Amino acid sequence: MFKSLRWRLQVWHTLVLLIVLTSFGAIVHRLHWQTRLQQVDAELDRTAGDVVSQIRRRMPRPPGPRMGGRRQFHRDDPRSEQVPPSDPHGVAKADATTPDGVVPEPHAESPADFVNPPPRERPYLGIDSGPLLAELEQLLHGDEGSGLYFVIWNEKGEQVLKSKLAPEIDYPHLQLGPNGRSIDTVRERRGHQVYRELIHAGPHREVRNLLVGRSLEPDMIAHRHSGWLLAATGLVILAAGTLGGGWLSARAIRPITAMTAAAEAISAQNLSERINVQETDSELGKLATVLNGTFDRLQFAFERQQQFTADASHELRTPLSVISAHTELALSRPRSGEDYRTALETCQRASQRMRTLIDSLLVLARFDSGTPALKQDRLDLEPLIQDSVALVQTLAEARGIHLESQTQPCDLLGDWDRLSQVVTNLLTNAIRYNVDGGQVMITNRIEKGQAIVSVKDTGIGIATDQLPRIFDRFYQVDKARSRAEGSCGLGLSICKTIVEAHGGTISVTSEPDVGTTIEVRLPLPDRLVAQGHLASDEAQLVSAMPEQPV
Amino acid sequence: MRVLVVEDEPDVLRAVALFLREEGYYVDTAENGDDGLYKGVTWDYDAILLDVMLPRRDGWSVLSELRRQKKSTPVLMLTARDAVKDRVRGLDTGADDYLVKPFELSELVARVRALIRRSAGKSEPVIVIGNVSIDTTSRTVSVDGNPVALTAKEYCLLEFLAVHRGELVTRTKIYDHLFDECDSSLSNLVDVYVSNIRRKVGRELITTRRGMGYIIEG
Repeated sequence: MFKSLRWRLQVWHTLVLLIVLTSFGAIVHRLHWQTRLQQVDAELDRTAGDVVSQIRRRMPRPPGPRMGGRRQFHRDDPRSEQVPPSDPHGVAKADATTPDGVVPEPHAESPADFVNPPPRERPYLGIDSGPLLAELEQLLHGDEGSGLYFVIWNEKGEQVLKSKLAPEIDYPHLQLGPNGRSIDTVRERRGHQVYRELIHAGPHREVRNLLVGRSLEPDMIAHRHSGWLLAATGLVILAAGTLGGGWLSARAIRPITAMTAAAEAISAQNLSERINVQETDSELGKLATVLNGTFDRLQFAFERQQQFTADASHELRTPLSVISAHTELALSRPRSGEDYRTALETCQRASQRMRTLIDSLLVLARFDSGTPALKQDRLDLEPLIQDSVALVQTLAEARGIHLESQTQPCDLLGDWDRLSQVVTNLLTNAIRYNVDGGQVMITNRIEKGQAIVSVKDTGIGIATDQLPRIFDRFYQVDKARSRAEGSCGLGLSICKTIVEAHGGTISVTSEPDVGTTIEVRLPLPDRLVAQGHLASDEAQLVSAMPEQPV
Repeated sequence: MRVLVVEDEPDVLRAVALFLREEGYYVDTAENGDDGLYKGVTWDYDAILLDVMLPRRDGWSVLSELRRQKKSTPVLMLTARDAVKDRVRGLDTGADDYLVKPFELSELVARVRALIRRSAGKSEPVIVIGNVSIDTTSRTVSVDGNPVALTAKEYCLLEFLAVHRGELVTRTKIYDHLFDECDSSLSNLVDVYVSNIRRKVGRELITTRRGMGYIIEG
């Protein structure tokens, strides 16, 4: 089961889905936290501004001629508008906030900016620190607690004011940003809490560093909740995706299952079964079409094989029944010597017929098995044809048939015995299926790189509808005549097989009552080499051969 | 009993015909389907032995044509094909039996005998009429348990009448079934055989219906 395609698809799909969902969830979660922090930062920044302006409102007014100092205070405010370049103080102040965070020494005349120099302890800045603190607390928390706190240090690093909620914080030697601010998440202050704090540098020299902070605990809890929600949603999507994937993979696999079932149903007994092709354009439809084509060829080959086996069995049984019947008949009661002789002669004929048949079947079987023991000798067609003509001369004379040959030398590579068999067979057929006193003409010529052997007779001919079948095994045009001639219907199939094994072709033209011409075309050596029919050493032999006469 | 053998292999045909004749059958032969069909339709045979692979018209076609023309002559198919589907096809087309080549001639004859007996509606091999018993397997006749010597022709006539006992058997029918194409139906050979049988087996067995034929009362 775990090796099935469906199962593997399912597992991969789920894994991919899991990875995608996890990454997506993690990114969303992270972005969410950052947004939250930005909101906190904005809140802290706003509060810092409020604290500064509140303190400034409570500051005693500086004397009139020192208005520049007040303006300077405004310019020192990091949130203040552009500093006019005409003001040397403003420029100096803006430059004073250095990136290294070290607060520069106040100007020498700075203490004179204020009417009342600040005392070392509260009240701070000449203001009654009690009411100021209460006002600031009110400012921070409004009516309900917001968790905000602040701490103020003077330029000497002494803590001058701090709100009620503020934890114990040492003077932060922090690096400030170019805008004179530093914002950071502080962990583990007072044990376990996590805070977000904003440090504002340099509102003025008494409020040198202002820290506004807030515990992040409520944000973290809220964020954790949203994280759980996100994870739960992810799980639901994963489950839905897995189910959907399962359904999809089942749907995708179903035609394959159907095809498997159909292919399984196709057996030797039931070759006509086919896969039901519904969508010919889909990949599976194409596969099914291809498979069906294969099954068609398989069925054709199988039926041909069955037909061949049935025919061969029939042809073998017939002489066997002759022998069986005649021996039983002869032995059933005492007979005369003449009767026994007749019986034995009949049996001899039958056994010869069987031998011919078995020889033919063996030749075909050898070629069918793909290992024909074909020799590749260099041979001349002319003597080969002459030998065959001499062999069938007696048969031709017995029929009163005039046998004529016109031959020329023609070298090629092949198996002498097999090619003799072909020529003799064609000549025998031409004599057998001829009219008494007819003619048989055998010629050979070279044409377009092919050696052509042509056997022409003036015989009974073959009807057009039977022509395509004459090379089929066991096909006999006239069964009665073939049997009388002792033919088993394999001769022309064997010729065709041998010729094709030599890389050649065999063709027939015929006209009933006029005659039949059979042409054998055999490739000449250079073509043989080109077709790769020869081993390399034979190819060398061929290339060493002189040009063929044309 | 008269039998038609349709077989295209001359050597097989010769042996079968000869063996059947030696077994006392009257045998007609045909070497192709058309000839076989013509004879099968024209004459009234007791059995037809039909090869499947025949030139001109194959055995299946001969058989179905015979059956189409309402000829119920029992047919024994002879074939070199032993595939089950071929046998099924033969029996479905209306063949009564099936024999695969190569066959034993003795088996062939036994099957022909059984076929003829079955087609006459009498499946037991020994026919008993009164004190006369006819053994169709060993082709012997006995009266009260004593064997009687009959010539082949006499036995065939007696068996034919016995198989068709209870029905009138005309002289023409006797000639059709017991004499082959070479014998002349104009002779009075039948009368001679009947009187010989009466002398050897008993007078009462065969009744003459003058001008019509003979009958063995069932």
